[in-house]
Amino acid sequence: MHKSALERAIENPQPVAGIQSRSPVDGLDRRSVGFIDVLSQSVSAVAPSAAATTMPLLVATVAGGATVWALGAAMLLALLVATTVNQFTRRIAATGSLYTFVAHGLGTTASFVTGTALLIGYGFVAMFALGGAGYYLAILAARLWPALTGSLSVPVFLILAMAAACLVLLARGIRVSTRATVLVECVSVVIILALVVALLVVQGPALDWSVLDMSGVRPSDFAVGAALALTAFVGFESSATLGVEARRPYATIPRAVTWTVIGSGVLYLLAALSQLVGFASVGGSITASASPVNDLAAAYGIDALGLLLDVSIAASFLACAIASITALVRVLFSMGREGLLPSAFGQSHRRHRTPFVAIVVTVPVLTAGLIGTILVTGSVWRAMEIFIVGAAGGYIAAYVLACVAAPVFLWRIGELTPWPLVRAGVAAVLLSAVLVVYMAVESGSARFAGVWVFLAVMLLGTVFAVIRRVRRPWLRDTVGIYDVPVSADVLGTALAEDRAAP
Amino acid sequence: MSGEAGDLRARQPKAIHSALTVLEEVARCGAGVTARQVSDNLALPRATTYRLLNLLVQDEYLVRMPDLRGFALGRKVAELAKLVAPSRPPEAVRLIVTDLRERIRGGVHLVRYDRDGLAVIDPDPDFPPTLAAAGSRPLHESAMGRLLLAEQRSPAVTEVQELGFARQFDAVSPGSGCLAVPIRDRDGTLVAALCLAAPRARIEQPGEHLVLLRQAALTLAPLLA
Repeated sequence: MHKSALERAIENPQPVAGIQSRSPVDGLDRRSVGFIDVLSQSVSAVAPSAAATTMPLLVATVAGGATVWALGAAMLLALLVATTVNQFTRRIAATGSLYTFVAHGLGTTASFVTGTALLIGYGFVAMFALGGAGYYLAILAARLWPALTGSLSVPVFLILAMAAACLVLLARGIRVSTRATVLVECVSVVIILALVVALLVVQGPALDWSVLDMSGVRPSDFAVGAALALTAFVGFESSATLGVEARRPYATIPRAVTWTVIGSGVLYLLAALSQLVGFASVGGSITASASPVNDLAAAYGIDALGLLLDVSIAASFLACAIASITALVRVLFSMGREGLLPSAFGQSHRRHRTPFVAIVVTVPVLTAGLIGTILVTGSVWRAMEIFIVGAAGGYIAAYVLACVAAPVFLWRIGELTPWPLVRAGVAAVLLSAVLVVYMAVESGSARFAGVWVFLAVMLLGTVFAVIRRVRRPWLRDTVGIYDVPVSADVLGTALAEDRAAP
Repeated sequence: MSGEAGDLRARQPKAIHSALTVLEEVARCGAGVTARQVSDNLALPRATTYRLLNLLVQDEYLVRMPDLRGFALGRKVAELAKLVAPSRPPEAVRLIVTDLRERIRGGVHLVRYDRDGLAVIDPDPDFPPTLAAAGSRPLHESAMGRLLLAEQRSPAVTEVQELGFARQFDAVSPGSGCLAVPIRDRDGTLVAALCLAAPRARIEQPGEHLVLLRQAALTLAPLLA
């Protein structure tokens, strides 16, 4: 009787060498969260509902008639980056996300630069979002109690309260924090979608398609518009930091990354279209409006929606803050385990199985940084502008390095094929162009401080990492830790353990 | 019949067939086989192979080894293995067999017979049965298999009737052999066997060992039938 190799392997599992019973990133709640939690991590980090209300205005200011097209182009570029990042997420489950991935393609120095850029991205977006939540809640408070208008202490107090809530949620466990963000994000997306539908329905069948007219738009304006629009997508890769905690990470994380880009892209396109069409039909211009959705709601006599909108944007910002800090502390956790940062950062809470020390350090530091910047600039909005510019720079720089690293990594493990190479190459070139255009545009705008802060922190972080590497040469062998299969995951070792059990 | 089978194959998507072939190839090559080796061995296009391997890793039929290059059979296969692996016999049975192992020099295995053939349900941990002895070879090459053949009144193994047990020399490895003492229920149906694997000389002259095995077989019969 002829038996297949698989039957023989099952009947008589062979021991597998080099499989340990514990992973090097042991201590987190391994394989505990499902697809919805992983998806909500990426979606919340992008904060699509907050971006859907603000981004069309920003893009329209520079791109004019090409707004929707620029958003579409940005979506395609984001998809290209997402599929390239997924070359890693399908093969490596880690908590360090792009920082870890780049280490396996380009080595430690490039990995330090990526890590710094990524920490800027997550950290600055967390501060931006926390500030944004405070800003919109303060507007809401001023609507209800007009006496509070204009006071800086109201948003500062709200920010402190929310930071405390974030700290508790994040420390309690990954399931608690992802469930909280998914709830918050769903509510705000539903509100935004309701607004979009309401606008289009009020509009009736006679839509003014002239808003899609590209004639008279200069190519450079289109490019700048697309670069700005890309910043609305950043954060989609953040579910890659849940590589250890996700169940079936090689399936759920790539799916979450791709669908976050597609879902938020469609939402942006719908929102931009409805806002542009709405303004065209009331005879106004979107660029003349400070808060387009509120103005539109007022123009169509659905003023009450403005209130709902502020709640939903604040909720979306809060979810974004939680998701960004979730990702940030997991990158720090990875760096602590490797020895780049003090090893305390690599400790996890024994019961909640979260990177406890990193959370307890990060949340107060970010809160202090945010409140300090608010006090220095004298305005929540100004502080937010600085942070969002820095964050976008950090994210895009990290994406560029990841796109360069992906083909090298594939080549190193012997799995390079032509299409991933082409996609990664195109993405790297376009992203570099976007980064340069974006930095150039922003350094000439009122938000120029963000560019300088970004460059300064990049330099500081990279210098720190390089000095650390000179002092600790063994970092070369430890950087880039990831989750490896433990004995329970492998046939042979799994059955052997089973039999050894009493 | 053959037409039906061909029809079935024609309706199966080719991708599933390829995925199973890839899984089979990893099983055949053993842990640590790389994606490129699988692609070369199967003459499958690179991109297709890599995509299939990553799909199998996603579904945990395979795992990527810590070096990120190699692959090994994963937990899903282990779960399947647990389904087909024979269940452990009760503790009363294992105590008797362990006691026997302490008094006999050689490998003592407990085998169960059912409709699907035979399965080693309590292999000797100190002398694990070889693949061939454990029933992967033709039945007449192992003592436990010959016992089953005798039960099916095969003309090839007449000596089992005379001896009251089955034996075999040199078929698995030269210089050694094994014998199998039947365990029967009250109706005389063969339900299990105690097998002794030892050097050829001890199988030819089992003496005291045969007595011990037969005693144990009688004690085990009500527990296994």
